[in-house]
Amino acid sequence: MQGLRAPPDDLSVLERQEACLLNWQQQGQEQSNYNPRGSGYCRQMQTSFQALPSGCGGEKNVNHGDVHGSIDCFSDGWPDLANIRYPVHGAANVEETSITNVSSNSSRKRKADKSPRSKQKENGGGGKGDSGCKRIKEETGGGATSETGQPNKKEAASGDASKKNDKPPKTDCIHVRARRGQATDSHSLAERVRRERISQRMKYLQDLVPGCSKITGKAGMLDEIINYVQSLQRQVEFLSMKLATASPLMDINIDSIFGREINPSCKSGSTAMIGMSSELLDQSYLRFDTLQHPHPCSGLDTFMDSSDLVLRPNVNPPVAVPDASFGSSFDVILRLNMSMGVLFGVQTCKACMAWISSKEEGQPSPSNHWKVKALILYQEHYDASDDNKRSGSVLPNNLKMEM
Amino acid sequence: MQATKSFEQAFLKQMLLGIQLSAVSHTTGSLQERKSAIKLSADVAMAVARGSKKWTRGLIASLSKEEQNRSFLQFVLGKEFERPAKICHSSWKIPRSKNIVRRSLRFLSKRQSNIRAPNSSVLAGTLVEKRTQVLKRLVPGGESMDAFSLLDETLDYATCLQAQVDVMQKLMTTLEASKHSRRADSDAQCPKEKFHLLAMVGSWYSTRKGLRKRLSKRPKLTL
Repeated sequence: MQGLRAPPDDLSVLERQEACLLNWQQQGQEQSNYNPRGSGYCRQMQTSFQALPSGCGGEKNVNHGDVHGSIDCFSDGWPDLANIRYPVHGAANVEETSITNVSSNSSRKRKADKSPRSKQKENGGGGKGDSGCKRIKEETGGGATSETGQPNKKEAASGDASKKNDKPPKTDCIHVRARRGQATDSHSLAERVRRERISQRMKYLQDLVPGCSKITGKAGMLDEIINYVQSLQRQVEFLSMKLATASPLMDINIDSIFGREINPSCKSGSTAMIGMSSELLDQSYLRFDTLQHPHPCSGLDTFMDSSDLVLRPNVNPPVAVPDASFGSSFDVILRLNMSMGVLFGVQTCKACMAWISSKEEGQPSPSNHWKVKALILYQEHYDASDDNKRSGSVLPNNLKMEM
Repeated sequence: MQATKSFEQAFLKQMLLGIQLSAVSHTTGSLQERKSAIKLSADVAMAVARGSKKWTRGLIASLSKEEQNRSFLQFVLGKEFERPAKICHSSWKIPRSKNIVRRSLRFLSKRQSNIRAPNSSVLAGTLVEKRTQVLKRLVPGGESMDAFSLLDETLDYATCLQAQVDVMQKLMTTLEASKHSRRADSDAQCPKEKFHLLAMVGSWYSTRKGLRKRLSKRPKLTL
């Protein structure tokens, strides 16, 4: 096999095919049509391909039928297609890439004369069926009929058809060339492009859905995807139910998190608010730093890691821990707003205020009014002097890290 | 394929906001009400955090069909609420005359019954068809998509759902942990886990400018 030389480049493709076929026959290989015999079979094919740097490369077949296993191991001589990985089995994958590199250079030269030739080889039976078996059978029939001028070919019609499919497909995302033995009319071309895109997406989905690496075929994959999406949706429902039970008053979500740490003694106006906000953040830094032991929420580790990096070097001197208890949810929301407002800006605060005041028409108490006004005032102040604020300067310096 | 950290952060932020907003009206509601409010805010948060995709628009449209959600949606989305709602109606479905569909189905079934050994390709095709239909119902806004974009949207939707589940689980564990520690030490020592979410939220914004940019990307809340 190794002693056999490839036919020179200027030979027609048919003659090259002939040579390949002869090689195969010499090897005494059974050209049983697309019998997936696994990697051993593939490797044999590939060694033969390596000896023939000509375009007797393999074909990347996007069909999902049984033929998948054997055909996919054929090399792909066209650099375009190297980027599109189709689901292949076994060891064929690794060898494909090496063969791609080997034959790609030589095959590039042949692109020009191949394409007209391939177009000439069109047979009417090249219309694509939905399944692989069907298509290949058509091609087999088509291949046999179209090569009337090559009587030698008829001897190994089945092998011929396999060689036809071995011709590397010249498709990529942008321009599509017809494969040998297939129709070039725009419909089938578009059809093929569409099908390849779909198979590419299916590949991504296979990566996404856990435990789907073994399943091939559209129907099975779709089944798995449907189950997965349904289970995720059910999980969301369940978790929201759990959250609802865990926080009987929904403000406890934030109350428990932010509640006790906010200084309520902010009765003197905007400067106090600013101080409060810095205090709030300082406390969080403080807490964060003192929290050296692993905490029970393992799920937060990912968040913790990055926050650690950011916050640890900036521990401020400890501030007295304010202790407050909050009565109404409105208070809580105000405080949440104040803290969030530091981070989210004026718009959010104003919007929240407006919404809340529209909801709570029955509580136009002066304290609320004052709080609202103070908050807005604070926000504007914070916005205005962006650069030379204590807490503001602390904040950007610490949190430069883009997570 | 994992959802990015920024998506998770945006989602958490949105969800916390949403929960707070709905907390005012739902503090004394039944469990069902609270659960649906949380789910609503979670869904809206996911849609907002993702941006503009077909499934997000479909999701918001389907959510806005119920009257009770409208005020919440209107608040959260602001100006953008009206626009997508107009586009994503059920009339967006590919118009198919019922008679024609019925007739074609009848012919198809006749033809299939005539074939003794149905071609494997046809069988495979119908299986795929059935499943595609189911998937279209699952993915929000999927009715009006062709097969390729359906797969695309499913991919996106599944990653976002995964991220949603992750974040909600983490939130859950934080809450429970804080509850435990609060029970453990009822004194003034604040449980440390409480700060985690605050620290997270705080640390997610790099600079003030970055903040502004992010805010400007969000829909401006009309007042």
